[in-house]
Amino acid sequence: MTDPSASLAGDFDHEAALEACARGERFALRALYDREAAWLMAVVLRIVRDHELAQDVLQDAFLQIWQKAGTFRRELGSGRGWVYTVVRHRALDEVRRVRPEVNLGDNYQALAEALPTPEREDLSHDEAALAHCLSLLDDPKRQCVIDAFVEGHTHEQIASRLSKPVGTVKSWIRRGLIALKECLS
Amino acid sequence: MNTQDPNERTAEAGEYVLGTLNAAERQAFEAAMARDEGLRREAYAWQDRLLGLTRRLQPVAVSPELWARIAARLSGVSQVVATPARSGAANDALWSSVQFWRWLSGGAVAAAMVMSVLLVRTLVAPPAGVEQAQVEAPRYLAVLQSPDNAATGWIVETVGTDAIRLVQVGEGATIPQGKTMQFWTKPEGAAGPTSLGLVKPGQVVVVPKGQLPGLAERTLFELTLEPAGGSPYNKPSGPILFVGKAVRL
Repeated sequence: MTDPSASLAGDFDHEAALEACARGERFALRALYDREAAWLMAVVLRIVRDHELAQDVLQDAFLQIWQKAGTFRRELGSGRGWVYTVVRHRALDEVRRVRPEVNLGDNYQALAEALPTPEREDLSHDEAALAHCLSLLDDPKRQCVIDAFVEGHTHEQIASRLSKPVGTVKSWIRRGLIALKECLS
Repeated sequence: MNTQDPNERTAEAGEYVLGTLNAAERQAFEAAMARDEGLRREAYAWQDRLLGLTRRLQPVAVSPELWARIAARLSGVSQVVATPARSGAANDALWSSVQFWRWLSGGAVAAAMVMSVLLVRTLVAPPAGVEQAQVEAPRYLAVLQSPDNAATGWIVETVGTDAIRLVQVGEGATIPQGKTMQFWTKPEGAAGPTSLGLVKPGQVVVVPKGQLPGLAERTLFELTLEPAGGSPYNKPSGPILFVGKAVRL
């Protein structure tokens, strides 16, 4: 198992790993897997809410990483950010295909309780900046952004949870994102 | 999406990464991003801005067998090769060659082979600047024909020094529901074929040379009909749809 603190340290070169994957070097995908699988599993599990399904999604997502690594562009952003986007999008496709209605069962409660607060001491500079900027958003906008990212909810699902019109939720998310960008720049 | 308003662009890219675009909006955004470098830059920026949200979760152990399952499927995946900056010209050339081959595919294969030399040398000419390196690299072409009626369906050609490309040039096979085409290669004398991935009708598949077990005169390429998801074995399990051997140009 990966040491949870390990992925905070900047000693893994995600960009080089993706470039090696693009050249067909399997050890690079394995290294990326060893480094990120447990973290990615947490992200996927949170969205799909089923351990077996989450592993299937993660398996497909690693094949997509392998397939699409050649499209990664290091001059535009981090390899880690790219990997998480590929994996999250695969998880969202799955949950929207299989189960358009999210089932908030016991499993969800257990996961919700495991959610740590953003005021952890081991956050990196970027993570602390994001937590700070999120804290400056009004409650509903912050809720919407976090709900969409962490739970993988759609506009409609968030609207129904908050008992607000879909248009309002969409506008909160977009205004929240623009405010986040300004705060982080 | 209003592609001019900077806030709209930022918000759309943010929603793309966040995952709140519906399927149609996401496809539209991906299409726009493919043409618009600025939009791609916005999306990459959001990937990094929002990454910190993943730190709210504790890592979850995965099954020890998961990696083996991934590794077992890797050889069935065709990798996308990064498009070079000068892709416009290369794509035009490819398009021309595909059109040309479609027209040609009813004709004699011998004539096709001769024409292919001209095509590969002229239409699929390398971008200026890499020409020197490519002069040294041998070029190969395989014309894949149906074993039933000898119709040419696909060609495999070398692309630059680093890759091969599979292109449909004639009437393809009909793929029944629940079936797929799988692309294989076998160098002369090799023990068995190696999968180069699944192929959809009309798809252009580029495979880095590093993934080939070898490439030389008489290297075999074939497309077989397989169950959806590919052959359950490490070798073809279904009938050959198109097959051919490489010739050096």
